[in-house]
Amino acid sequence: MALETTIEQATARVPVTVISLDGELDASNFNELIETTRQLYEAGTRHLLVDMSNLRFMASSGLVALHSMLRLMHGEPPPDPEAGWGALHSLGLDAAGGDTQTEVQLCGPQSAVERVLTRTGLTRLFHIHPDRQTALAAF
Amino acid sequence: MDSDGLLQADLLAAILAPFAGLDPELGLIVEDASGRLIASAGPVAPTADPARATGGAARAPAEVPRASHEIRSGGRVIGRVTARGPGAATPAVAAGVEAIATALGALVDERQARTAAESALMEAGAEAAAERHRRIDDELALGRTIQRSFVGLVGPDIPGYDLACHYEQAAEVGGDFFDLFRPLRRGRPLSVVVADVTGKGVAAALLMAFARPVIHAAIDHARGPVDALERTNRVLRERRSSLFITALCGSLTLSTGRLRLANAGHEPPLIVRGDGSPIVPMEAYGSLLGAFPSLDLVEAVTDLAPGDTAVFYTDGVTDARSLTGERFEDARLLGAIEAARHGSAVDVVDSIRTAVETFQAGMQPADDITIVAIGRRARRRTGRAAAIA
Repeated sequence: MALETTIEQATARVPVTVISLDGELDASNFNELIETTRQLYEAGTRHLLVDMSNLRFMASSGLVALHSMLRLMHGEPPPDPEAGWGALHSLGLDAAGGDTQTEVQLCGPQSAVERVLTRTGLTRLFHIHPDRQTALAAF
Repeated sequence: MDSDGLLQADLLAAILAPFAGLDPELGLIVEDASGRLIASAGPVAPTADPARATGGAARAPAEVPRASHEIRSGGRVIGRVTARGPGAATPAVAAGVEAIATALGALVDERQARTAAESALMEAGAEAAAERHRRIDDELALGRTIQRSFVGLVGPDIPGYDLACHYEQAAEVGGDFFDLFRPLRRGRPLSVVVADVTGKGVAAALLMAFARPVIHAAIDHARGPVDALERTNRVLRERRSSLFITALCGSLTLSTGRLRLANAGHEPPLIVRGDGSPIVPMEAYGSLLGAFPSLDLVEAVTDLAPGDTAVFYTDGVTDARSLTGERFEDARLLGAIEAARHGSAVDVVDSIRTAVETFQAGMQPADDITIVAIGRRARRRTGRAAAIA
């Protein structure tokens, strides 16, 4: 199942890039999403809103994509899934060290996707907003 | 085996470790054709083994029982797999040892065929790295193939309980694993672990190979499943991985049927009561392993009465896709369990496996599929037979 991404620029208190996901995020395409995010960072994006309202399904590999997006926005390279042990070091992003970060935020997850986020505890890592409007006001 | 190390000793050791966990008195060793020890797991004392000095000749009757099988490749003997321990004289262990030896031989055959075909094209640098990755892939995949056959054959024989497991590998190497640890001492609980490394590829597979003995060791030293997963999380945090692991860790007291469970971001196990009441998830939630300094796990407890079954699975089951792009999802899983709920744990696992296979219409799964069922046998077999009839 394909995943389509749409990129828009929005203005909140800071410039925010909105990336809308349409379809299913799974093992077949999560690396493409990481690559898209890497390009956005190189083009200057520092705040990212992931609009999940048209995301019908997210497998556990989607969690790796979300975490990698967060690392990228912190200026850290995402792990290379083919680099073996060399990739298995994180660069000090400490998710639970106080307030939840605000560089990458999520909005509009459907119930199936929200269940995955809740079950895995990633709600500790990301602010999740009901819609885009509310989310943009939070940056 | 050849001196260039057809099987990397450390990986092979990691692969073997969980099998020894099935029976704390069973040791496993893999040797090459000259009797050199390549890898071992469990209680083995290879240096004190006189059989090696005499080329594996018949042993004195007082020796520890053993099961041994040659590893053959290309028509010659390249090594030997041996299990030793009080339980090693059973046909099940002999079959398990043969399965391991056959799988190792097949791996070597396949690798040699591939090396011959690729040698003309092979260049140093990137190609060599790619080959190294393929070898690691092979060995990890092999490890799980072996594990599946071994658990299937010699899965802990626990009086009063039925155990059943199914593992199916994804097209691309995935990160599921499961382990069953027979109690180290009489009266201690049976431990079960079902886990899934998020993501794909070599990094995920390596993290799995690393995490698995870590969890095993944590269980041995922990006060309970929550403590075991918290300990594992601390080690993974030191690794500073960017991949995560969802994991279930259960501890089953066999005499009472009490199941204690910790859940780090994994699909909850399903509890199927023998009284026919609705199938319910065993609710115990916490964060996945590797992302946070602490997991905030809360232990869940339930008692398995005779006739009850606990079903553990990974998201490869519920995320399985049909040709039309539908997902298998919870409802079909519950339906498959319902259809077999009066059978044994084996029947339940078979029912789920068949339903997923039918749903996928023959496609290889995009994600690893793991199913483990533990059923407490009904108290009186006659009563149970009547229920089935």
